[in-house]
Amino acid sequence: MVDTLITGFMHGNAYAIVALGMSLIFGVSNVANFAHAAVFGMGMMIAWWLGSVLGLGIVPTIILVALITGLIGLLLNTLVISPLQNRPSVAALLATIGVGMILDNTSQMIFGTETRSFPELLPSHNIEFLGVRIGTSDIVMLLLTVAIMAGMAAFLKYGKMGQAIRATAQDTQAAKQVGIPVKRIQNISFVIASALAGVAGIFVGMFNSNVSPTSGSSVGMTAFIAATIGGLGSMPGAVVGGLTLGIVEALGVYSFGDGAHDLITFGALIVILLVRPNGLFGKKQVLHEPMTGSFSGGAKPYRIPKWLGPILIVAALVAPFLASDYFSSVGIQIMIYAMAAMGLTMVSGSAGQVALGQAGPIALGAYTSAILVGQLHASFLVGVLCGGLVAAIFSSIITFPVWKLSGHYIAIATIGVGSITVALIRVFEPITKGSLGITGIPFPQLFGFTLFTPQLQYVLVLAFLLIELLIITKIRKSHLGKTIESIGNDPVASESIGIRTSAYKALAFAIAAFFAGIAGALMAHQYTYIDPSMFPFATSSLVLTIAVLGGLSSPVGTILGAIVLVGAPELLRFMSGGRIIVYGVLLILIIIFRPQGLFAKKE
Amino acid sequence: MTRNNHISIRQLLIGACTAGALLFTSACAQNSTFGSGTSGESSSSSVAIAVMYPETGQYAEYGKMFKQGLDLGVKQVNADGGVQGKKLELKYFDTQSDPKQTAAIAPKIAADKSVVAVVGDYSSGASMAASPTFQQAKLVHYGFNNSASDFTSTGDYVWTPQFSQAVFQKQNAELVAQKAKKIAAVYIENDWGKSAYAEFKKEAKKLGISIVYESSYLADSTDLSPILIPARDAKPDAVVHIGYGPDGALVVNTLRDKLGYTGLFYGGQITQEYIKLSGSNGEGTRLIGPFTPDSTNPNAAKFVKAFRAAYKTDPGEFNQTSYASIIDLAYGMNKTSATREGVEKALKTVDDFPCYVGTKTTFKFNQSTRRMDSTSFLKLELTDGKFQITD
Repeated sequence: MVDTLITGFMHGNAYAIVALGMSLIFGVSNVANFAHAAVFGMGMMIAWWLGSVLGLGIVPTIILVALITGLIGLLLNTLVISPLQNRPSVAALLATIGVGMILDNTSQMIFGTETRSFPELLPSHNIEFLGVRIGTSDIVMLLLTVAIMAGMAAFLKYGKMGQAIRATAQDTQAAKQVGIPVKRIQNISFVIASALAGVAGIFVGMFNSNVSPTSGSSVGMTAFIAATIGGLGSMPGAVVGGLTLGIVEALGVYSFGDGAHDLITFGALIVILLVRPNGLFGKKQVLHEPMTGSFSGGAKPYRIPKWLGPILIVAALVAPFLASDYFSSVGIQIMIYAMAAMGLTMVSGSAGQVALGQAGPIALGAYTSAILVGQLHASFLVGVLCGGLVAAIFSSIITFPVWKLSGHYIAIATIGVGSITVALIRVFEPITKGSLGITGIPFPQLFGFTLFTPQLQYVLVLAFLLIELLIITKIRKSHLGKTIESIGNDPVASESIGIRTSAYKALAFAIAAFFAGIAGALMAHQYTYIDPSMFPFATSSLVLTIAVLGGLSSPVGTILGAIVLVGAPELLRFMSGGRIIVYGVLLILIIIFRPQGLFAKKE
Repeated sequence: MTRNNHISIRQLLIGACTAGALLFTSACAQNSTFGSGTSGESSSSSVAIAVMYPETGQYAEYGKMFKQGLDLGVKQVNADGGVQGKKLELKYFDTQSDPKQTAAIAPKIAADKSVVAVVGDYSSGASMAASPTFQQAKLVHYGFNNSASDFTSTGDYVWTPQFSQAVFQKQNAELVAQKAKKIAAVYIENDWGKSAYAEFKKEAKKLGISIVYESSYLADSTDLSPILIPARDAKPDAVVHIGYGPDGALVVNTLRDKLGYTGLFYGGQITQEYIKLSGSNGEGTRLIGPFTPDSTNPNAAKFVKAFRAAYKTDPGEFNQTSYASIIDLAYGMNKTSATREGVEKALKTVDDFPCYVGTKTTFKFNQSTRRMDSTSFLKLELTDGKFQITD
């Protein structure tokens, strides 16, 4: 037991050292930096190269890695984050996801894809301690974590530059007026945080012993959870959050096995946020301005002229019969993702709440219909509708406590909700077959006629998409839609006139989850096979990105967003290796230069 | 005023570039990608096998190993006169082993008349999302890496040269039973790991092995001490691992380096990756395997020689299975015809496909499971940085 605690503590320390940089950036720029994990992974791979290919020792490795990752941080801030400064925070959040994609793929192209042993820059297993062996490297990492935490805290509190950083964080405009060079301050904080991420990569590399260009992202996500648990923006919080999470995970996995890992990690997140809505050390957030802000408020969707609508529908209907099967199958993917994203125009658009867990309801819909139709022989339409209902009900139950939180905490809690849903599907093996997945899900069947060809399935999905478009447009125009929108525009004012904001947010989410569930069910009947690994966090972030790109105020826009984001990897197929990098660049460019979304104009 | 102008011009420029790029790509795509299926009309002088594989993304390392084997296979087939006098080609499609992408690309492959069979993808989920399309197009889907027990259930055009886990794990349990009566077992939490472990457990029980601790682990877990501490504390004769190379190395490194475990270890994977990552901790690793560079199987020996000549390194299991898939299909077509029907007929009728795994030199398909019929495997031990055959 003691040995489990020790390993949990050491692993938690690895989370803590990564979480420190995330919290610093959040504190200074109010950005949930999802690229931090990629910078950290990049630092790990550069250190591997310096240590094993060039054979450098620990000190030159630390210096060089800090220099290079610091430079990456500078570029990240000047090229991507600064241009988004006056935008709602969801813009920067999505842009950093794009940067993460670019960095991870670049790292793969530079260093190759295989897993390799990290050089032992410091002895790693030389100290026998109560049943486990730890190393000098672990001790140094622990001292480093404490030193960084204390150093940063003191620097922010007493240093001249540190005070300037804090002033900038509190009120950028006021800081500018008293003569603080705000741009430089933000650049410096990104450089420091990214250099820290790189150095963390060296020590976590030694701790993990085996590394690959993709190992940054899994540690990075957990470190994000650690920073959130500790309270975003708090240095001691990052460390305590990391250690707490490490120990909770170790004890949980020790007792329930590693199969329940995600359930433990994200369960801890949700439980701690319920008790302490701003994390263990976070300050109470007075303002809870909607994260999506002017993404919707300042923009108006384009109107499709009355005569054009029917023409577009007919064109969409006829197209698959004129083009190849490939057109239909890509079209189906695009429409399914558009369906999953369209509901977010209610949650993230109207109610102003970022939802990063849509993979959850999609998976619920897929599993419900797969089981009902495939095993219990219900009819296809019943299966799909029940898929939507189950997704709406279960997601609402799991998400209900989340709406009490505010700002970024809701966004991160929804990540937890998505992961918990998928983890539960994995655990409920008797019903869901767990990791084995469900095979032989029948093709869509209507009135005894099976829709075999891609063209027929395309028409079916198109019909569902148009029905959803109609319903969502109607809701948005209705009294209910206006009420939800008022919450997004001014939550305080809406509460003061007696609107229960959290209940309406939950309702908007339930509607979005219903349609995401239907999209998931259609997906299951098209693939004919599903397993839990098909609904990762990447699915959730893709769905939100589609909604944002299309224009959060525009349900039609989500179709356009899906054409770009689901279609682009297919369209970019001719460029092979670099296509995901180009995709990431395209994503960032659109976010920077088309903030209101593709299908909306600025007001 | 000037500032505003400056911004709007810059925005305009970049906006125009983005739009231009989008238009350009969609225009290209209109011509080549979404054309009405006439692209790649079968030319009389060559036939193609389509490959769905992860060239990029988290499984790219496996994609690289596949490509080495596939390229070598096709080179040899063509050097030996091709298939029915025609040149054999490979058409590669990067899917990142993502079901959304395999499902999208499948009709494009099916519509290409020059394609006579499809091989890949890496994961079962990605493969099985594409299978229904191939089934309908009456195009053989030959999932050489898909050992999941349900893989061939989509229909009679879905085949795999993978042996069933029931056969493999029976022999694995027998190997373990030779030296251990009391074991702790850990396995990877995915469709393959789950079904493989279930078969292993069944056979182990029959052989009287007692399993004193068991746990699955997620593929992306970076610290496995919390499950390996109770595994060690249960004082087993051996720790059995069912999974892949990188995670196998993590298990054995954690056991030996961190937890001071000195007992027997069964598992890992026959790849250079596992051997390198586990280093001295991996020495003494035992497992049964279909293939090793030192295999005494004459077909395998010939393959190893060719692989070393081409890539200056030893091949692993993934290189071998991908290589063999091309040889199988070409061998079959040379006995029937170089068409889609020919491939299907060959898998149904040919009973002497060259066998690279285990000790047999030929194999045929079990017609009800559409998998390789039972075979025997090699008992291996990692000694001096090489998997060597033991008894």
